[in-house]
This record gives sequence, C-alpha cells and structure tokens, in this order.
Amino acid sequence: MPAALPTRRRRVGVVLTCAAFALVTACGGGGAGSGTVVPDAQLTIAMQFAPGAGYGIDTDDALVVSQLGVSESLVASGADGVARPSLATEWARTDPRTWRFVLRPNVTFQDGTPLNPAAVVKALTWVAGVSAPPRAIKGIGLTAVADGADAVKVSTTAPDPILPLRLSSSNAAILAPSAYASNPPKVQDTGTGPMRITAVNGTQSATLARFDGYWGGRPQLAGVTANYVSDPAARALSLRAGDVDIAQELPESSALEFTGSNGFVNQTVASPRTDSLLLSQSAPPFRDIRVRQAITKAIDRTALGEQALAGSAVPASELFGPAVAWGSQERPPAPDVEGAKALLAQAGYGPQNPLRVSLGTYANRAELPTLATAVQGMLRAVGVEATIQVADYDAKEPDLLAGRYQMYLLSRSYLLDVPDAGATLTSDYSCQGSYNINRYCSQAFDALIAPLGTTTDPAARQEIFQRAAAQLNTDAVGVPLVHTQANGVGSKVTGYTVDPLAKTLVTAGLAKTE
Amino acid sequence: MSAVLARRLLALPVVLFLASVLIFLLPRMAGVDTARAILRSRLGEAEPDPAVLAAIRLEFGLDASLTTQYWRWLSHVVVGDLGNSFTTRTSVAGLLFPALGVSLVLTAAALVLAALAGIPAGVWSARRPGGRLDRAVTATSVLGVATPEFVLGTVLVLVFAVALPVLPATGWGSVAQAVLPVLTLAAFPAALAAQLTRAETVDALARPHVMVARSKGIEERAVLWRHGGRLALTSVTSLSGLFFGGLLGGAVVVEVVFAVPGLGGLLYDSVVGQDLPVVQSGLLAVVAVAALASIAAEGLQLALDPVGRSTAT
Repeated sequence: MPAALPTRRRRVGVVLTCAAFALVTACGGGGAGSGTVVPDAQLTIAMQFAPGAGYGIDTDDALVVSQLGVSESLVASGADGVARPSLATEWARTDPRTWRFVLRPNVTFQDGTPLNPAAVVKALTWVAGVSAPPRAIKGIGLTAVADGADAVKVSTTAPDPILPLRLSSSNAAILAPSAYASNPPKVQDTGTGPMRITAVNGTQSATLARFDGYWGGRPQLAGVTANYVSDPAARALSLRAGDVDIAQELPESSALEFTGSNGFVNQTVASPRTDSLLLSQSAPPFRDIRVRQAITKAIDRTALGEQALAGSAVPASELFGPAVAWGSQERPPAPDVEGAKALLAQAGYGPQNPLRVSLGTYANRAELPTLATAVQGMLRAVGVEATIQVADYDAKEPDLLAGRYQMYLLSRSYLLDVPDAGATLTSDYSCQGSYNINRYCSQAFDALIAPLGTTTDPAARQEIFQRAAAQLNTDAVGVPLVHTQANGVGSKVTGYTVDPLAKTLVTAGLAKTE
Repeated sequence: MSAVLARRLLALPVVLFLASVLIFLLPRMAGVDTARAILRSRLGEAEPDPAVLAAIRLEFGLDASLTTQYWRWLSHVVVGDLGNSFTTRTSVAGLLFPALGVSLVLTAAALVLAALAGIPAGVWSARRPGGRLDRAVTATSVLGVATPEFVLGTVLVLVFAVALPVLPATGWGSVAQAVLPVLTLAAFPAALAAQLTRAETVDALARPHVMVARSKGIEERAVLWRHGGRLALTSVTSLSGLFFGGLLGGAVVVEVVFAVPGLGGLLYDSVVGQDLPVVQSGLLAVVAVAALASIAAEGLQLALDPVGRSTAT
C-alpha cells in the first residue's frame, strides 16, 4: 500500500529532482559551525510533510505534531521495539486484558492544566472512538479508566501483549482536555512536549515557542519555524540558500553535497519500509512454488539497490531490514539465472512455452517504476516476459485484495505506527489476513506467528519475527527487493538525529550552533 | 458596450449552474471510492476495512443518492456555506479563500508584469522587423515560451537565492518571497504577449491609414503606439482574460517549486484525496473568477477597440 504522501509532491518532485540537482550540486556553500551552542536560538526547518488532515491527532498528521515536539504519548519507543517511559513512568499487566499505567508526576499541559488520570482517559477514549481509528489501536476495543490519583487502567477486548507499544503511537498522544472541544482536537497549546504551537499558517508553516514548563527540562531553542516544503528539490535549495537550518528527506544526489566537513549534520538511516514484488498465489503461474523460486533467483536485488536506485535504497534479503533490531543485516543472495531457468523448465516453461506475466505498480513512489523496469529486464534474462502496467493504486486495490493480478510491485511499511511487526505479519501473510495480497496461506506459518498473541517479551517476539521472515523466504512469498532509507541534513545544529520511525525531530536537546 | 457586458453578467448564473453540475459529477465519475480515499488521506497505510468505510460514508453523507448529495451541496453553497473539508474536517472557506487570495495576487502580479514587459517589447521590436532589437525580443520570447516553469524557477532560485543570496528560495507572505514566483509565472505570458504584440503591430503599421498618418508627419513614436500598440493591446487583453482563469488554479508547478500555498496545489491535493467539498467549491470559485475576468477583459477590449465596440452584439 502506498504511503500517505500526497501524490502531487511525488509527481512534481520527481520532475524537479531530475531537473534541478545537476544545478544544485554545482553550487558551493554551507557554513561550518564551531559547535558552540547559541542560547535561546530560533531554528527554521523545511519539513517533508505538510499536515494534510488539519493536525488531526487521529490521522497521520499526528506524526507531524510529534516531530514538532508538541505532543507526547504515555510510552516512548524506538526501532528496537522496546517500550520506554514517557508520560507514564511504569506499567504492569494487572490481568490478561488490562494494563495499569502510572503517570509521571508534575507534568502540565501547555495550557497550564495538570496531567492526571482524567485527562488521559479523555484522550484515549476520544481516539478509540473515532470513525477511522488509527492503525495502532484499531480493532482492539481499547477502554481507559482512572485508577486512583496517579494511574489509569487500559483494557482491551482480548489479551494484548503489546499494549504499551501500541500506546507509544503518535496517534495515542495525550492532549489537554480542552483540546477535545473541537474535531479534530486542537493541538495549539494543548500538548506536553518541549515546544508549543503559537501560530499555524495553513499548510504553509507553523511557528513554535519553547514550553518553559516542560517536564523534561528547559528546551534549548527559544522557538522553531516549521516550513512545509513538499518538493525535495525546493527543500535542498532552501537549505543551500540558508533559508532553513534543517531539511528533511533530500534527494540522494543532493544530500551527498552536504557534508560534515562544511558544517552540516547529514544522516541517512534505513526506514522500516520494503519495496516488494508480490506474486499472486490465487492462480497459476505463481501458485507453483517453483515459479516463485525462479523469479526470486532471477532478480539481482543488489543491482536494484545499488545501481537502479543509485544507492538510495538497501538491497533486501528478507522482509525486515536494518531499520529494526530483528531485521536482516545480510546482503541478498546473488542472482542465479541458470537455476531460475531450470526451475521454470521443471514448471513447464521454456523457450517453446515462455512465461508471460503482467507486472503492475504505481507511480506515487518515484522508485517503483524504475524498479519495475529493472525487474522486467532481469526476468527477460531468464525467459520471462513481463508487461509493465503503471496505474493508480487506489483504483487497483480491490483487484489486488481479490487476487486478480499476477505480479505487483508494492511499497509497504512493516511497522505501521508501532515498533512491532506482529500486525504486519498477521494482516499481510496469515491465512485470514485482511491485507494478504500475495494470497499466501500456510498453516505452518500461522502456527509460527500464533504465539505473538500472548508473548510479551520483546526478545521472544523478535525471535518469532525473524523465524517468520525466514519462513516467508523459504516459501518464496513474493520477493523483498529493497528497503528504503530516510535522510535529513542540519546546518549548524546539534542534537539533531533522523528518526527512522519519523516520530521525533524537535527535542529539548536540539540547538543551534555558531 | 454596457448592454453587451450586462448580457454577459446576466448569463453568469446559468454558466455557474451548469458548471456546478459538471463539477459535482466529474470527481464522482473517476471510479475512485471516495470513502476509501478519505481513509487513505487520513491514514496512509490503512486497510480498507468495510466497517470503517461504512462509518465514513455515513459521517459525510456519501450513502445518500447523487441527487440528494448535489442538492444538499448546492443549497448550502448558494447561501455561502461551503461546508467542511472531508480530510481536514475544518471549514472549506477557511482553506479556500486564503489559497484563492494567494493565487489571485500571484496571477494578477504575473499578468501585470507580463503586460508591462511583453507589450512594450513587442511594440518596439515591430518598429524595425528583422532588426537587432526584434531579433533579441524574438529569441527571448521563444526562450520564455519554451522554458518549463520548473527549470526557470530553479535557475532563478540558484541565481537569486543561492549564488546572490538576495531573495528567499521558498515561502509566501512578503514582497521578497513573491518576486521569484511572480517572475517565473510571468515568463510565459510575457513571451506570448511580446510575440502577439509584435505580430499585430507589424500588421497594423502596414495598413493604409497608418501610412496616411505618417505622411501627415505624425511623430513615429505616436504612430507606433496609437495605431500599432493600441490594436495589439486589444488582442493581449483578450488573451489575459483567458490566461487569468488558467493560471488561477493551474500554477501548480510554481506553487510547488516555491512552496506557495496557492489554489492550484490545494485543488490538486483535494482531487487526489477526493476531498469533494474542497474540489467542488474550489472549481466553482475558479469558474466564477475566470468568467468575471473574461467579462472584464471583454469590457476593456471594447473600450480599447472602437470598431469592435460598434460591431459587438
């Protein structure tokens, strides 16, 4: 399923990127900082995503609010899949369906009201009741009640071993009760984070000021201006022109120009997202595992990542990549053209009876048509003729879910707001999965992931994730091609890190340097 | 002339009504499930859960018949209630009017600049066809017509925001931020105005009454502007009326390059996200403004062209 990026950004962005970066990279510039922190500085950021849903905390805009340092959830978490204290300091399971969260003392919202159990209950109850519930809490029947003066009990209709991780989602942010007087809830002056929004200028920009009452200590920055600049080339130019101090997601060719030697903080991290070739097992030819294995052997994933995409993506050896603690760090196996031909021959395909298939994808993500063309060439080398069809994803989705396709190139996040892969493995690969486009059904696989319904220990869960990914490779359930990457560049800043989960950006420790 | 304009104005409600029907139907004929698009605009990787989709349809009245939906929308629009956006859940007016204001300023400034640059350039180059000035203007205007906005915009940013950091690269809200987007948007109409003006002026200067005027000893500059430039002005004015509507909602590339929060981007995102209240009201606003601009241009054209004024019906 495509990401939430507005399509215009991607389409125009591709054009601009191609046109502009030879020019951009020809320019010098950039200033080195001494590293001395400028006290009470103002920072300007070119943000990748503009809020498209009115800063709705129940939508993907919650990530923007979280990145701006405005909102916080009961629990924090990183790509290691381990829950950490945030607005809750500790938690414990009180019965199979209920968890008790103890609230951090002396936390106030930006409107001056205190964080207390009633506020938490109001926030969680609201988000659990919206018409389109966020992925992290959808379908779990979440209810919250106050438990004494400093705790809340959160229950689900069925035992949920990862409830604390679910509550680390940006959508589960706790806003002041006054926020919920409107729909979507007001995020201005209602968060608990280090920054408060002082003004919103549509989808163009937002200005923020330090929240002096922040429980985590006095933020170093006095204020932040967040400019929403949808086009990656324009973000790079803004950074180059000195209009902004930080720019998110620059094109690979441009990002390379901003180096540490001239004062830039330039980071590239793996994202929890995989571009995969899905193979419909509803019907021939991909019902036959030998054909699926042949396709897997035919594709040179290293070449896709390092040549077709010019190093902007990591070649994938399995579903989970280096963005997560349980992901594979290994390089994919080299292609085996002869092995692929032999398997195809066993399945009845060869020069006299070549395999002809359709290869669908969509253009919303710029790399997909490029990957499709490269895959087409690799398949041709083993005698498979693939016809590429690029079409709108939304229009194609019903056919995909019904198995009415042969090959489809899809980009999919495997974390879905919560740093736990259980939801993806269930929805995308179990027999009853609601998003099982591969139409893969294996009782052995379902049995393998069944303990995820009761396993709380992160290490044990991650072991299951690893075994599940290996099983998917063994059964040749589609071909994970590449893992995408996230990048960001800061100029004369300190305390800036690119979060692969896209939850954090502006923190209390972020500062400008001379 | 006033009768002509009055007739045009009286026809405006009919035009808007017909446009409203088309604007209402077209997004619904695209074959995209609106509820699914709304869900996707809120939650990018959301699975199309039937229960959630049904709740969304109910929430936005999408379960009603098309006739009911159309009547509901139109009856609110005529009293000035544009409703709420499907995706932001905030007032459409609050989204639309700021974006429309930005686009009106951007478009008007670009067209004024285009006229100020293109018309004199065309008139002066027509003075000596084939001369140095004419060749320079022709070459520049060809370049202006042929250069895509995303290339010109990027080059302008590199020159004026990066190499000579005198102007901001992106944003909207100050005069300095408006300079580069206006220049970029003005390039094409300016080039076209120069070419059109040149051709019209050359043609006008070859007419017998101009030769008579010259033989009477009227100063060349006066001949040039009174007989050539004025005639060309009527064509350019007519063209500007057409351009205005097109640029108002169609300057998407310039808006993206310079991160300008205009109407084009708003409409594009709304069409992709099936945010029907914004699409419908936005397109209706574009049609209304474009129609008014066209009438204004026609009025100006009639005022400038006595012959046209006498024959207009």
